[in-house]
Amino acid sequence: MKNQESAISIQNLTKYYGKHKAVDGLSLNVERGDIFGFLGPNGAGKSTTIRSLLGLIAFQEGEAEILGMDVKTHHREILGKIGYMPSEAMFYPSMKVKEVIRFAADMRKLDCTAEAQMLCERLQVDQNKRIEELSLGNRKKVSIVCAMQHKPELFIFDEPTSGLDPLMQAEFFKLIMEYNKQGTTCFLSSHVLSEIKKYCKHAAIIREGKLICTDTVENLTRTNTKRIRMIRDGKEEDFVFKGDLNQLFAGFAGHDIEDIVIEEPELDEIFMHYYEEEAK
Amino acid sequence: MTVLKHEMKINAKSLLIWTLCVGLSCFGCILLYTSMEDSIKGMADPFSDMGVMSQALGMDKLSLATLSGYYATEIAMIHNLLGAMFAAILGTGLLSKEEAGHTSEFLNTFPVSRKSIVLQKYRSLLYNILIFNLVCTAMYLFGFFLMGEEIDGKAMALYHFASFFMQVEVGTICFMISAFAKRNLLGAGLGIAVLFFASDMMCRVVPAIEDLKYVTPFYFANASDIFTEEKLSGSMLAVGAVVTVCAFLIALYRYNKKDLAQ
Repeated sequence: MKNQESAISIQNLTKYYGKHKAVDGLSLNVERGDIFGFLGPNGAGKSTTIRSLLGLIAFQEGEAEILGMDVKTHHREILGKIGYMPSEAMFYPSMKVKEVIRFAADMRKLDCTAEAQMLCERLQVDQNKRIEELSLGNRKKVSIVCAMQHKPELFIFDEPTSGLDPLMQAEFFKLIMEYNKQGTTCFLSSHVLSEIKKYCKHAAIIREGKLICTDTVENLTRTNTKRIRMIRDGKEEDFVFKGDLNQLFAGFAGHDIEDIVIEEPELDEIFMHYYEEEAK
Repeated sequence: MTVLKHEMKINAKSLLIWTLCVGLSCFGCILLYTSMEDSIKGMADPFSDMGVMSQALGMDKLSLATLSGYYATEIAMIHNLLGAMFAAILGTGLLSKEEAGHTSEFLNTFPVSRKSIVLQKYRSLLYNILIFNLVCTAMYLFGFFLMGEEIDGKAMALYHFASFFMQVEVGTICFMISAFAKRNLLGAGLGIAVLFFASDMMCRVVPAIEDLKYVTPFYFANASDIFTEEKLSGSMLAVGAVVTVCAFLIALYRYNKKDLAQ
């Protein structure tokens, strides 16, 4: 497996915790330049997949490459080219923000002063505060600066927006778009469906360690699932319909239909649709 | 070098406190010798004749009536025990604190191998122990200078080398434990230091457990033996070196292989 075109290429990745399969034969491909959403509820295996890719935990079966390099044999080279933001943004409590940002740059043997300054200004990060004084949201902002300041080829973000206020979430995605225009690939794990729909080009849905589907966000949302709002026999109804619309209309015979609106469902409804399909 | 610098900075306050506390306490004890000299001289004979207790404390070999004897039997014992405790506290926290403080993901996602992280953290342990010993020894020598006493330079150098080596061994064993732990096992580290100290005293007075001398590094760092014989036990040091190297290699292997907690 040597896929130079892919930013991330995973084949049959399996990770056990004891006897429990946390990730079960996952295969996935993320093209360079993409903004890829990795969707799944808590405990679906998103973080385990990411932590396996980064070498924080060892996986038992399968292969994975990042930027054309095997994650097991080129661990250091890969880490040099990515910016990672963990779901828990934790740093050394006694350090000042500027010391943490400097430490992150020094660990990469880079001078990222200018980029870090720009990011701190845009994200409104107070560099003189100590980490122990920061809220989760402010720690997340420090984590974003540490992940972006060295302008990596690939971002890997694990639930990046939890704890960020809406203004900062918007600024964060604005930054991602800007870096993406310069060629940076973004792999974004989330359970917030709206942000995936709004910002991602492709997405994958994972459940209980297994990949349920992967496609463009546009195709994923183009299903035979429709949201129906109607007034039937004087009663308001609002439901998600899956299947042939002719069957739906046939069921209306003998009923008084005052009004009907058929629209594309929200992404979370589609998400549930894929889950239910998989469960069958 | 970034991890090494970071560890030195993070542990600087602890190093300063331990060095000043131990160094000044022992320095004070040296200066107090003059005021206690007469009463200590009076106690020297009874103390050397207390059977197993005298053996355990080395007072059967050295007399409290001299500053050298007082230093080797009393002050060196305090220095050894507190130095080992400092090394143990430092060693048990170095690797495990990353997982306990949830910073392991931050530290281990930079382009630095785990091997390098372990090596740099271990070097910080060695440097901390070295600085602690250099400053404390300098304070003791200054104490002797102020007292106008001549000290056996060779015995002093051999003892402080052995004491440093003993603390490195204790620190390395605790460092190994740290590689297995997901939380800071401070109590276990301190327990190991005290257990080794007690083992040294016990194996000197109970023939049935004499072989414990090969287990506890306090045995080869015993100042009474060193000030009496003016030499170190090569075989004991070799055992200590093997234990230290093995503990370090196990720590390196374990940390390289382990799944890091979030």
